[in-house]
Amino acid sequence: MAEDLVLDTAIRDWVLIPLSVVMVLIGILRYFVSKLMLSSQLPDPKIVKEGQIIVRARNLRAAANFIPPKSFRSRRVYFSNEENGLLFVPKGQAQNPQAQMFSDPNMAMDMMKKNLSMIIPQTLTFAWVNFFFSGFVAAKIPFPLTQRFRSMLQNGIDLSTVDVSYVSSRSWYFLNLFGLRGLFSLILGEENATDDTQRMMQMSGFGFDPSKNLGAEKDGLDIVQHEWALPKFEHRAEAVLKKLIK
Amino acid sequence: MVSKTEETQLNSLENQVDNGGGGAWEYLCLVRKLKARRSEKVLKYGLSILNDPKKRSALGPEEWTLYEQVAIAAMDCQCLDVAKDCIKALQKKFPESKRVGRLNGMLLEAKGSWGEAEKAYSSLLEDNPLDQVIHKRRVAMAKAQGNISGAIESLNKYLEIFMADHEAWRELAEIYVSLQMYKQAAFCYEELILSQPTVPLYHLAYADVLYTLGGLENLHTAKKYYASTIDLTGGKNTRALFGICLCTSAIAQVSKGRNKEDKESPELHSLAATALEKDYKQRASDKLGLLTSALRSLKT
Repeated sequence: MAEDLVLDTAIRDWVLIPLSVVMVLIGILRYFVSKLMLSSQLPDPKIVKEGQIIVRARNLRAAANFIPPKSFRSRRVYFSNEENGLLFVPKGQAQNPQAQMFSDPNMAMDMMKKNLSMIIPQTLTFAWVNFFFSGFVAAKIPFPLTQRFRSMLQNGIDLSTVDVSYVSSRSWYFLNLFGLRGLFSLILGEENATDDTQRMMQMSGFGFDPSKNLGAEKDGLDIVQHEWALPKFEHRAEAVLKKLIK
Repeated sequence: MVSKTEETQLNSLENQVDNGGGGAWEYLCLVRKLKARRSEKVLKYGLSILNDPKKRSALGPEEWTLYEQVAIAAMDCQCLDVAKDCIKALQKKFPESKRVGRLNGMLLEAKGSWGEAEKAYSSLLEDNPLDQVIHKRRVAMAKAQGNISGAIESLNKYLEIFMADHEAWRELAEIYVSLQMYKQAAFCYEELILSQPTVPLYHLAYADVLYTLGGLENLHTAKKYYASTIDLTGGKNTRALFGICLCTSAIAQVSKGRNKEDKESPELHSLAATALEKDYKQRASDKLGLLTSALRSLKT
């Protein structure tokens, strides 16, 4: 429908703004709670070592052309040697660490805590929004949308003739959920526990990172063709000196 | 490593504080950030801030970081009483802290009681086996006691775990050079070049080590690395220029009789010599005669 619905300004005062304020406050509360509950996680020596190995292998790949071919080759063998190369992870072992991580009590507790601190406020706020702020049009989105979005954005509104641009407060809740991340990093500094979206992505792409990384590094290292850049430098040095002398 | 702009900033701040204009706190923060070793100045200005209760309370929570910084500076200047007072204050505030335990270990080291310091560090390492700083302090202790091979062993063990720590590689390289174990030193310098390929210092050191090892192939490689140093420093590094001349003459000597012309860079040698002469004319013209006679003797 082409007509414009006039929305009560009371909606703005009593729905949109309080909802945003409440979400900001809950975020700040969660940040402080997470700081209190932070258990100092003792870094596992194996994981630290693997991280360092990866950094070193990456350096080797990046700057391979700066060292003589013999040294590069000996290092490559050191890393990707079949028997005791640093990057070589036999297939059988790769699966175990993941199971180990889940059964490791410390790490499991940590993960649970992090998940809980994320899920519970979200669920509560969502339920609160649904209970109090449903059944009316809350806002109008400035750009037109297709009919597909109706079920997502217009949940409490049972009129099918209302333009899809008019959304319910649930969509305002979701907008805030994802949008306040920037605000939190301004207020609370870089490392804050409200990075939900990042955590959600991490949870979905869960895998035992180091072993996959090791395999990836090994493949990358195998691919590298060593082309010694130093002879070029001699010519460049000549050019530099020539310019200097003039 | 400190960049040039940061170093000039540090020096200008230092001058400012020396001549009585304020800014002591900014100076101390900058020293802490750049990990520069200016212990006397830090001690002087740090103590002046700490002994003045008004300024001390103005610092707020940073006061304890300052205590730590002044304690370390005091130990460096051998003012052990000052250090002990600072550590006592820190211990009162943070009774179970690892950092304070580390400072205690350092104090024992500074006093020279190696056995007790070793015991303190071992107990700290039991609680936290992955503390890099404590590992490095043990290496420093071994080195200070003159036990260089022990230092090498602990440093190697440290590097097995923390192999991306380029400071440690650098320390190991310098120890090897001091012991004339040039092959191992060359390996360490290669690691450094890998991690930071654009720092000319490492290229230069690597070239020096290769030149010292000798042998035709090493000399060629050394020459290339001197050239890369020249390239990275824009021709201003005198040592690299000398290196090129020496390498060329050494190669000519070793391959005497073999008519192996250097096809890659025929002019590099003469260019380097000319650049050296120009440099000396500008900066030390009285030594120019020495230079020209030395270069002439190399050219043969």
